Amino acid sequence: MKKISLNVNGKDHILEVEEDMRLIDLLREKLGLTGVKEGCSEGECGACTVIMDGEVVNSCLVMAFQAEGSSILTIEGLGDEENIHPIQQAFIDVGAVQCGYCTPGMILAAKALLDKNPNPTEEEIREAISGNLCRCTGYNKIVQAIDRAKEVLR
Amino acid sequence: MKLEVVGKNILRIDALSKVTGRALYPEDFYMEGMVYGKTLRSKVPHAYIKVDTSRAEKIDGVIKIFTHKDVPNNKHGVVFKDHEVFCSEKVRRIGDPIAFVVAKDRKTCELALENILVEYEEIEGVFDPIEAMKDDAPKVHGDSNIVYHFKIRKGDVEEGFKNSHVIVENTYKTHMVDHAFLQPEAGLSFIDEEGRITVIVATQYPHYDREEIASALKIAEDKVRLINANIGGAFGGREDISLQIHLALAAHELKMPVKVVYSREESFLAHSKRHPLIMKYKTGADKDGKLLALEAEIIGDTGAYASWATNVLRKSGVHATGPYFIPNVKVDSYAVYTNNPYAGAMRGFGATQVPIAHEQQMDMLAEKLGMDPITIRLKNMFKKGSVTATGQVLTESVPLQECLERVVEKMDFPVGEKEAY
Repeated sequence: MKKISLNVNGKDHILEVEEDMRLIDLLREKLGLTGVKEGCSEGECGACTVIMDGEVVNSCLVMAFQAEGSSILTIEGLGDEENIHPIQQAFIDVGAVQCGYCTPGMILAAKALLDKNPNPTEEEIREAISGNLCRCTGYNKIVQAIDRAKEVLR
Repeated sequence: MKLEVVGKNILRIDALSKVTGRALYPEDFYMEGMVYGKTLRSKVPHAYIKVDTSRAEKIDGVIKIFTHKDVPNNKHGVVFKDHEVFCSEKVRRIGDPIAFVVAKDRKTCELALENILVEYEEIEGVFDPIEAMKDDAPKVHGDSNIVYHFKIRKGDVEEGFKNSHVIVENTYKTHMVDHAFLQPEAGLSFIDEEGRITVIVATQYPHYDREEIASALKIAEDKVRLINANIGGAFGGREDISLQIHLALAAHELKMPVKVVYSREESFLAHSKRHPLIMKYKTGADKDGKLLALEAEIIGDTGAYASWATNVLRKSGVHATGPYFIPNVKVDSYAVYTNNPYAGAMRGFGATQVPIAHEQQMDMLAEKLGMDPITIRLKNMFKKGSVTATGQVLTESVPLQECLERVVEKMDFPVGEKEAY
């Protein structure tokens, strides 16, 4: 066991973690943040995307101990029913949600993009979500939603 | 009449819970005192098996290892009851379920799986559906590998080919496809406050699942409760039983909540695939490009289990002509068992594969006639009032011609000109 400290969704935590524990397990099992989804366990699908110190990471490929001292944002920290984030609202309004399993990862990939580049082109949006698979094949709506969110956020 | 829904953009009722990460999929449910399950699966495609769980049972933290001996009725399946909950004597494909370990945590489950001894006495398998149709082929179930034969007979194809100016004959093959829905199978089963076996799962058929669980456990259907959680994609891949009966059996026997989460690899092993088809086509047309005859033999590899093969291969047969009127048609479509991964429902249900064949035939007929690919289609396509090969009169909207004409216009396609050929 190893003791680590990290900040998740604005809250500081000190946690005992097993050496072979992954960040996704820490978030889901220790903190109950089940909005972090596991699709492939090998960094292909992006369902487990979270933002770690401003960068998108696949939380299935990050070991829990590597998150020591970091600041993590999951979908639960972005916005909730009372205080919804413009990217989340745009996904609802445009119809970018189907089965919903890729949705948290897509929204966080979009958030990381818009934080760095408030006015991305369509190509830049597509590149930013290129690590996130949608098997319902709703990519066009997702791109439109991010484009709409960009207008609201500016 | 004022329409309230049709023509309006309606927000999905589940969208808010999905964008906030609060939507619960089966693996997101946790319960007090919950234990974990994991499935032991066959590593070979065709073998007689002997299973020894004694060593694994002694591992600290293992609660119970289920095999076929623990299942009141070991047979299940959506159309034919050809699946076994756990293989009893024989495995028929790589990935066939043999045993189900329940233990205090996932690591113990994995250790226990490694300690179950399976003795495989391998037997000759069959992996090519054409070989599998022969009398002397190894049999996957019973004494024939042919699960289903669908026929269409309309007019006289011999006469149609005799009168044809051009004939095109080819064999086409399509491959197996996995749905790869993004959320791998998962579930949680427990006994609820009314004593019912409750299974939380993501499924396309909660009513079928309930019936199959009740039948396998030999209990009344109203003693089983299915809760369909959010479903992370399906596309036909959740139309068969995967972990539902394993979970229900374990919760029923052990009276404790049992959870299973498949890895992506296990998900690939556990559920159906799209049927690979072999399509032998012969199509004839007259000098003007009017279709006169079609003869097609379609062989679908359904792998080790039938699943929805009858419905899928029927649909392939019904759609074999494509959207074209043909006066003389002979179609034979078959579903055949092999020792490959089993095939079932996947988007299009047999109608997705046949255009590979019927559309290529159209292009090649056009080429032989010196005609462009649009003109030959416009001459033959279904219109309102057309009669299909199965005798259906198309009385409702058939806007195919309008669609093709608009595509031609948008593409600026040079219909009838030399460069279009």
